Amino acid sequence: MKHTLSILLQNESGALVRVAGLFAARHCNIDTLTVAATHDPGVSQITLVMHGDANTLEQILRQLRKLVDVLDANSLSLVGSRGDARLAVALPA
Amino acid sequence: MSGAEVVVQVLADEGCDVLFGYSGGAILPVYDAVFRYNAEHPRDDGREALLLVVPANEQGAGFMASGYARASGKVGVAIVTSGPGATNLVTPIRDAMADSVPMVAICGQVPTSSLGSDAFQEAPVSNIMGACAKHVFLVTEPERLEATLRTAFEIARSGRPGPVVVDIPKNVQNAKLRFDGVCCLPIPGYRARLRQIEHARLDDDACARLFAALAQAKRPLVYAGGGVIKGDAASALRTFVDAFGVPVTTTLMGLGAFDTRHPLALHMLGMHGTAYANYAVEDCDCLLALGARFDDRVAGVPEKFAPHATFIAQIDIDPAEIGKVKPVDWQHVGPLSVALDRLTRYGKTHGVALKLDDWHAHVAQLKRDHALDYDRASNWIQPQAVIDAINRHARGRAVVSTGVGQHQMWAAQYFDFAEPRHWLTSGSMGTMGFGLPAAIGAQFARPDALVIDVDGDGSIRMNLGELETVTTYGLPLKVVVLNNRGDGMVRQWQKLYFGHRFAATDKSLHRKDFVKAAEADGFGWARRLERKEELESVIAEFLSCKGPAFLEVAIDPDAGVFPMVGPGATYAQMVTGEFIASRTAPARAEGATTDMF
Repeated sequence: MKHTLSILLQNESGALVRVAGLFAARHCNIDTLTVAATHDPGVSQITLVMHGDANTLEQILRQLRKLVDVLDANSLSLVGSRGDARLAVALPA
Repeated sequence: MSGAEVVVQVLADEGCDVLFGYSGGAILPVYDAVFRYNAEHPRDDGREALLLVVPANEQGAGFMASGYARASGKVGVAIVTSGPGATNLVTPIRDAMADSVPMVAICGQVPTSSLGSDAFQEAPVSNIMGACAKHVFLVTEPERLEATLRTAFEIARSGRPGPVVVDIPKNVQNAKLRFDGVCCLPIPGYRARLRQIEHARLDDDACARLFAALAQAKRPLVYAGGGVIKGDAASALRTFVDAFGVPVTTTLMGLGAFDTRHPLALHMLGMHGTAYANYAVEDCDCLLALGARFDDRVAGVPEKFAPHATFIAQIDIDPAEIGKVKPVDWQHVGPLSVALDRLTRYGKTHGVALKLDDWHAHVAQLKRDHALDYDRASNWIQPQAVIDAINRHARGRAVVSTGVGQHQMWAAQYFDFAEPRHWLTSGSMGTMGFGLPAAIGAQFARPDALVIDVDGDGSIRMNLGELETVTTYGLPLKVVVLNNRGDGMVRQWQKLYFGHRFAATDKSLHRKDFVKAAEADGFGWARRLERKEELESVIAEFLSCKGPAFLEVAIDPDAGVFPMVGPGATYAQMVTGEFIASRTAPARAEGATTDMF
C-alpha cells in the first residue's frame, strides 16, 4: 500500500541525507521525494511517497522521529479516518 | 579563544577526565590545546586534568572510549584526525550505536574551503557516520562550534544513549571565538520528544492492568535487557523483584542488571543462554520485557518466543522498540527506574501479593536439573573451567570485557555478575577485537578495579597492537587468551551446518607466540598454561599480579558452546550438548540452507 509522508526538517547540513539514508538502511524504497521551503527559513518540508504494509510504515515513522533534525513526521494517509489512501492521491507529490 | 580551545573547555566543563585519541594533521590544533590546557591546570596528584590516551589504531581509541563509557556510565570521548583517522572509528561508532553506548567522537576535517575537493586525508565523515551514529554534526560555522559540542554531549547521554560525531574543519579549530559557557543548539524536535518521554508517568489504570495480569499469571517472568543498566534501573528492578517475587532472566547486554547469584536469577537467555532460563521462557505465562528488544539472538523466531505467555508487557525508553518484533499487550515508554519504582509503590499500597510458590519451586528445579556443565573428564583444559577458576577469585566483582565468539559466550555463562557495568561486551554488532581496548578504557574509568579481558586468539589478533598501550600507561590489566587455534564459534557452525569443512577458521598452522608478543610489549608477567593440573595455581598467580599480566591458555579446540538455540530454531529445539540435561530428545540440526545467521 502507498503512503504519503510529511516530514518537517531542520535545515541542517546533511539532514536530507540522513532522512534518505534511513529509508535505504531500513530497506524501504522511496517512490517520490519533494523538498520545499516553508515560511521559516530554518525549516524544510519533505513530502515523500513510499509503499509498505502498516508495520513498515509505523516503524519508519518511529525511526524518523528519532532523527535529531526531524521536527515532525506523519503519514498523510493516516490523517483521514481508517487510513484512507485516497487522501494521499489527492495531495501533490 | 581559538576554536580548539573552545573544544577543550567544553570537554572539561562536561566532566571529561580521560580522552582517547590519535593525532594527525587536521586535528593538531585541538591536540595542542589539550597540551596547553593540562599545562595551565596542574593537579595536586600530578595527574593530567585531561589525560590523553594514545592507542595503536583509532579503532582502539573508539573501543577504549566505549569501554570507559560502559564501565562508568559517563560519556566516552574519542578524538581523531580526518580521513583515515575518522574512518578507523566507524566500527566502534556503529558498535556503540548498536549497544546504546554514550560517546562523543571529535574528528578533524579539512578546512571548509577544501571540503569536497578530494583533499589529502579528506573523507565524507558526515555521510559515512550519519548512517552509523545517533547523530553527526559537521561544523561549518565557527560561531556554532561551542553550542554544537555541548549539544553533542546532551544527545549522546539523553534518551536511548548513543554515539555522536562532531566533524570539525581545521579552520573552525583555528577561528577566534568568544566563549559563552552555556549555549546549546535548539534541536526543538528532539528535545520536545525527549521531554515527553522523560516525563511520561504510569497512571493508576496502567498499573492496575499490569498487576491484574500478574495476579492472573501462575508463571510470570522478567526478561531484562541492557536498558536496565543504561537506565540505572538495577536497584529499582531488585526492589520490584523483592516485593513481588517474579524470577528474572537477562539478555547478554543485561548481565549485571540483576545479581546472577540471587535464587530468582536465571542468568542469561537466548541462543547460548542457560537451559534453565530458556525453559523458563518456554514455560512462562506472562512476560515483562524491561529495556529489552526481542533481538534475534533472543527471539530468533518471534512468534514462537515465550509461546505460552498470554500477556506480554514491555517498558522501554525508545518508542520504536515497542512491539517492533513481537506484539505486546501492555506498554510504557519512559525511564525504566521511574516506571519500576512507580509499579512497586502501586503494588505495595494496593497490597499485591502474588502466590508464586509453585513457580519458584519449578524455577529452582529447572536450575538444579539443567545446570550448566562441561566435559570435566577430558585431559584438555576446558575453557569453562578457566572462567570458573577466575570467577572463584573475582566473586562477581571483576570488570570483565571480551572479544566475540565462543570465549565471549563461555564468559557470559560462567561468570557471576553482581552489579551493573561489570560486563563489557560487543553484543549487537559482535565486533571481534573489542575486548582489549574496551578493558583499557574500563581500567581508566575504574583505576582500582580488577579489570580482566577474556579474549580469544582470533579476537585479540584484531587489536593486538593495544597490548603495548596497556604497558605504556602501566595499567594493572589482566589479559587472558583462550587459545583454541581458530575461530571457534564459526568452526562450531561449520561443524553443525557445513559438514566439518573448516573454511578459513583453522589456525593450527599459525605461528604466533602470544607470550612472546606480550613480553615484547612490556608485560612483566606473561605465561602460557597447557597443563590441566596447573590451572588453579597459575590462575591464582595471574590474578594476584600487581601490574599488567598476560595469560594464554591452550584450551580444547573442540569445546563447543552449549546450550545452543540454532539459527531459525525455537527454544523447544534447543540443543543442550553432551553435558547438560535436556528435557526433550535433541532435534536434528538444520542444514546450511537456512538464511538465518
